[in-house]
Amino acid sequence: MRKIILFSGLLLTLNHANAEEVTPLNIYTVNYPVKFFAERIAEQYAHVTLPMPTDIDPAFWSPKAEDIASLQKADMILLNGANYAKWLPKVSLPLFKIVNTSSEFREAYISLNEGVTHNHGTGGKHSHTGTAFTTWLDLSLAEKQAKSIFKALSRKQPKLNAKFVKNFMPLQEALLGLDSELSEIGKALNGKALLGSHPVYQYMRKRYQLNLESVHWEPEEAPTEEQWGQLKELIAKHPAKWMLWEGVPVMETVSKLDALGIKSIVFTPIANLPEAGDFLSIMHENVARLRAILEK
Amino acid sequence: MIDSLYLAWRYVAYNRVKTITLILCISLVSFLPFALKILLKESEHQLLSRATTTPLLVGAKGNSLDLVMNSLYFSKEKPDFISMKAIEKIMDSYLALPIPLYTRFHAREYPIVGTTLDYFEFRQHTIADGRAFAMIGESVIGADVATRLNLTVGDSILSSPENLFDLAGVYPLKMTVTGILQKTNSVDDKAVFVDLKTTWVIQGLGHGHQDVKTLKEPGDVLSSSEKLVTTSAKIKQYTEINLDNLESFHFHGDSSIYPLTAIIAVPQDQKSATILRGRYLSEQKNQQIVRPKQVIEDLLGNIFQIKEFIDAVVLIVAIAMVLAIFLVFSLSFRLRQKEISTILHLGCSRSTVIQLIGAEILIITLFCSALCFSALLVLQYFQGEIVHQLFIS
Repeated sequence: MRKIILFSGLLLTLNHANAEEVTPLNIYTVNYPVKFFAERIAEQYAHVTLPMPTDIDPAFWSPKAEDIASLQKADMILLNGANYAKWLPKVSLPLFKIVNTSSEFREAYISLNEGVTHNHGTGGKHSHTGTAFTTWLDLSLAEKQAKSIFKALSRKQPKLNAKFVKNFMPLQEALLGLDSELSEIGKALNGKALLGSHPVYQYMRKRYQLNLESVHWEPEEAPTEEQWGQLKELIAKHPAKWMLWEGVPVMETVSKLDALGIKSIVFTPIANLPEAGDFLSIMHENVARLRAILEK
Repeated sequence: MIDSLYLAWRYVAYNRVKTITLILCISLVSFLPFALKILLKESEHQLLSRATTTPLLVGAKGNSLDLVMNSLYFSKEKPDFISMKAIEKIMDSYLALPIPLYTRFHAREYPIVGTTLDYFEFRQHTIADGRAFAMIGESVIGADVATRLNLTVGDSILSSPENLFDLAGVYPLKMTVTGILQKTNSVDDKAVFVDLKTTWVIQGLGHGHQDVKTLKEPGDVLSSSEKLVTTSAKIKQYTEINLDNLESFHFHGDSSIYPLTAIIAVPQDQKSATILRGRYLSEQKNQQIVRPKQVIEDLLGNIFQIKEFIDAVVLIVAIAMVLAIFLVFSLSFRLRQKEISTILHLGCSRSTVIQLIGAEILIITLFCSALCFSALLVLQYFQGEIVHQLFIS
């Protein structure tokens, strides 16, 4: 018995030593949620980089030549999928290193029909419509994305599988917990009309059965008269009392909305690195603000 | 002996027409089996070396030889297209890593191979000068393309239109050369490699043009609504992709149905390869998975059957030729009877006569050997090119 315990101890020590020896993976991601999931699961076994500046929307980033060179040298490139990174079709990346974290629910992508259609001369007309890409705002899909990252990491570093499992489990629990909370809020809202300041809440609307219509406003810019006019037309058909914002809107907009009887709350998708907090803490804050609608 | 050789040399030099005819006939018959052997050995080497290193190929159902020849040797015979969904299917299976190939277009006579960077890693190619392509519109050219077209890094190469009479077709794309491959002694030396998406731009599935929202010239916009802008045909479409206009390039439609000619599937292990093959056999109605080595071995089997037939023909011709030569010599000796009896009357022995005839045969044999050897040397030098033209292109 003593020999078995000693042998098991030796095996565990060897396994631990092997895990410590592994060179950290050089991982590139396309947005903050994916970076957060990868960092949580891989911990010190990966350097996870989000290559764009923090003040831009990662979906519309344009990589420079040196960024592409760095991406080409990565061990793994984690994509969000759903045509998220608009720069992706213009650059050349090794397919072997790419992991589409949403490929397992490709059928659940939401198509958009909001782009401008144009044609050239008498040739066939074509539209620039696309796919809604803020998949992680449906927290059940976010959990699937995290699971996909976990699987990719385990395939890449099978020796570290046990560690990845250990890190993934609490993350999975947290994401599914948030999903339950949002589902509960969605049910409680019971079809109450809501507005979105930007068309980024499609997956959230579908999953949590929110009666939400979106305009196309930016939080840091005051809407034009034309945009106010469009809003008035919208609320005539969709009498919403709350507008969800990606970021904190300018005071002028908040006041004008107040005058129309519409309260503003922030539900940020946190696509880029936050100044403070992390994905889970910010998502908890988002949920708490949304829950506040029920209380008022 | 030297005297005999001198007399024999004077004789063959005097009868040069007969001698040259004899030398050519004998050389040709000797050259043919050796030449055939060299060419077949080279074709076996060329065909098998690439096929052996390519584990599996996925393509449209149809002629598997066309699929292999197009995917491995970029032959002009194109298989039917498959879609990008086939890539997703392989990736989702985690059984193999896919390398897409789209070999529809040409730049002059050189094939444009649309693929991903993984191709270079898979074939273990290194870039001798410059760098790999990093964005659409960039290209890496084979060593022979660079030499023959005198291209260096920074130069451009233009895609050729598929049909010269298609005036309404897509514009040729001017592609920047960003790298030149190290010489590989394979068909990759004669190819232009681009990102897969670049080939879709050449096809017209993606394009770049002036921003339709900023058109100011009267007549540029025929009609405009919130969701539809109709512009005139004079809107400027870009025929070159650079950092200034890269942003304007975009693709239309569902990219998962964009075309490919084949996929090289690199399985994780033997078991994965077997499972993947099984899935294609049982599930795929419109696609096939083939082992290039098997297809090429079948092809070589046919070629060797033909070789055996040709060998038999050459043997018959050789026997006929030997008989003809024998006849030529015996007739020649009969005609030279007076000459031989004069030599005997002069006091020469019969062995001297035999020596003279032997020397003549030796001289002719030496000339034949020299000619045959030279021709084989020339053939050996060009064997790669000849095999490529005869068996691969």
